[in-house]
Amino acid sequence: MRKLIRRPEIGAVAAFLVTYLFFVVMTSGAGFVSADGTAGWLNLAAELGIVAVPVGLLMISGEFDLSIGSTVGMASMILALGTRYFGLPDWSMILLALVAGGGVGLANGLAVVRTGLPSFIVTLAANFIVIGGTMGVSRLIANVTSSSVAVSDPVKWLFAARWDQANIAILWWAAVALVGWWVLSKSPFGSWIYATGGNATAARGAGVPVDRVKIRLFISTGVAAAFVGVIQAVQWNSGNATYGMGYVFQAPIVVVIGGVLLTGGYGTVVGVVFGTALFGVISTGIFYTGWNTDWVQLFLGALLGVAVFANTQIRRLALQGR
Amino acid sequence: MKYFKGIGTAAVLSAGFLAAGADRAAAQTANPDGPIIVVSGPLSWPFFAAVKQGFDDGAETFGIDFQYVAVTDTANMTSDYPRLLQQAISRDPKMLLVGEFFPDGMDPLIREATDAGIPVLIHNSGQTLWEENGSIGFVGEEPFQMGYRAGEIQAAEGVTLGLCFNQVPGNPTVEARCDGYIAAMEEAGADTIYETIGTGDATNPQALAQAMSGILQANPGIDGIFTLNAVPAMSALQAVSNVGREGEVMVGTADLSNEVLEAIQDGRLAFAMDQQPYLQGFMSMQIASHFLEYGLHPIGHVKTGPLVIDSSNVERTLEVNNEHTGIRGAF
Repeated sequence: MRKLIRRPEIGAVAAFLVTYLFFVVMTSGAGFVSADGTAGWLNLAAELGIVAVPVGLLMISGEFDLSIGSTVGMASMILALGTRYFGLPDWSMILLALVAGGGVGLANGLAVVRTGLPSFIVTLAANFIVIGGTMGVSRLIANVTSSSVAVSDPVKWLFAARWDQANIAILWWAAVALVGWWVLSKSPFGSWIYATGGNATAARGAGVPVDRVKIRLFISTGVAAAFVGVIQAVQWNSGNATYGMGYVFQAPIVVVIGGVLLTGGYGTVVGVVFGTALFGVISTGIFYTGWNTDWVQLFLGALLGVAVFANTQIRRLALQGR
Repeated sequence: MKYFKGIGTAAVLSAGFLAAGADRAAAQTANPDGPIIVVSGPLSWPFFAAVKQGFDDGAETFGIDFQYVAVTDTANMTSDYPRLLQQAISRDPKMLLVGEFFPDGMDPLIREATDAGIPVLIHNSGQTLWEENGSIGFVGEEPFQMGYRAGEIQAAEGVTLGLCFNQVPGNPTVEARCDGYIAAMEEAGADTIYETIGTGDATNPQALAQAMSGILQANPGIDGIFTLNAVPAMSALQAVSNVGREGEVMVGTADLSNEVLEAIQDGRLAFAMDQQPYLQGFMSMQIASHFLEYGLHPIGHVKTGPLVIDSSNVERTLEVNNEHTGIRGAF
């Protein structure tokens, strides 16, 4: 039992179960627990989750990435303008979108490592630069900031296939979470991530390539954000520079609810996955209750507060046990 | 010289402050060498991209230089817009063209500007205010009337329980559309539901679709939806299909996009209310030009909407949207 309580994700798992049961009771008869209702909140969580997993790893290494929001929009516009306006092949535009996302991550990583400035500020600046650049360039090229997408059927299948109401994004989320879990818990790179976030100076002394760890993680968040941009663009048949802006803070929120310490060095992928699922349940569930939906953000805020408090307590317990 | 000008402006502004409420300060004249500043909506919205296109084309037609000022981050617009307007006024402009989106913060500033002799022309929002705050005119549409027309259409088609879905709660202009919709529906004896979503999700089509699926499940009687923007309109269609009620729920929206027009064409979407944003920009520029050069301006406001786009006129609208990118909405 003591061992169980010391796991970082226990808070998120417990909160998920309690919240889910709460909505099961409150929405009885409205179909929230049906296959379609479940697919609904999973669809929502999956797109956020694909970004949240790498963001979680990055935050465990002690850094933030707030530029993910505008990277989602940028990727969707690259695909939209490339395929619809220039008529270029969709695969090459998807590749370009992912490379551009990785490029944003690389730039963030280099800027943070070279200047030593807080990544919170660096990536917040990058967030504005990327959305501003996306809008400016889109307007120069096609005089728009949102555009239709023209993609082939295989691309549609890969990024937007549906089984009943479950999107393929859920499988992508599972894949990203598996890879993230393996990297963090099973590979040597994972222990480098923990070491970097726990105490970068000590980690450097022990021979961990701290800078390289951070840069790689920044690239992974950029690519993941671009990937979600491609998914949204294909799924909604339209690119939009503002897609993803909600993720700027939603991703760190679910990561923290999932038990990752804001200061780094502590957390798990399982926790992040449950934090994201919890977010999906709340964001969707409240609409099935028939209540006034002005309350949804109050719920989220209260939950975030409770989660941060609970996580600190759990961590204190964990450290005492050593 | 520059210093004197600065002091002069400060004096004029403080005079405006002191005089506000009591008697208006004697009309000053605006700086004839100052810039023409447009304070308008965020360009990330296809709607304002079309407004901007109108401003650009108008400026070119009438040989005017101007600067377009808008927010890029739409999270705090209620406080950002008064700040932007304040900055524009303090730059000593020749003329101000303002979208009065947030009257509580912006109206006192507009009064300050008109008291200081700066000609102000309102566009898009502020139809009920321009005569009171000393502006020379208004080009645009009353959002309440747009919503009202949408409510009339749905009530006439037999909708008995209508949902107005607001993706930007707290924005009075947008809320007024729902108010209008609800008023028209209630006058016709139909019931309504008003729902909102957190601002962070306003541009996440998946979150919008799942939210509306939930609302449709919780209220099986809903047979009409009115959305306030093109992105939630597409999400509403997805939500209706999610709950398996295609053809039973009449969906209409404010504002256009290519997807919206195509959905009207194949009958999934009933109508879109068009404010003709391009005209708001172009005609504002035209009035500004004529006012600055000849002192002429229209008497009374210039209405640009709502133009109802449905199956009867969607073909032509799509044609124009594809030929002249950005004039009618999104590509």
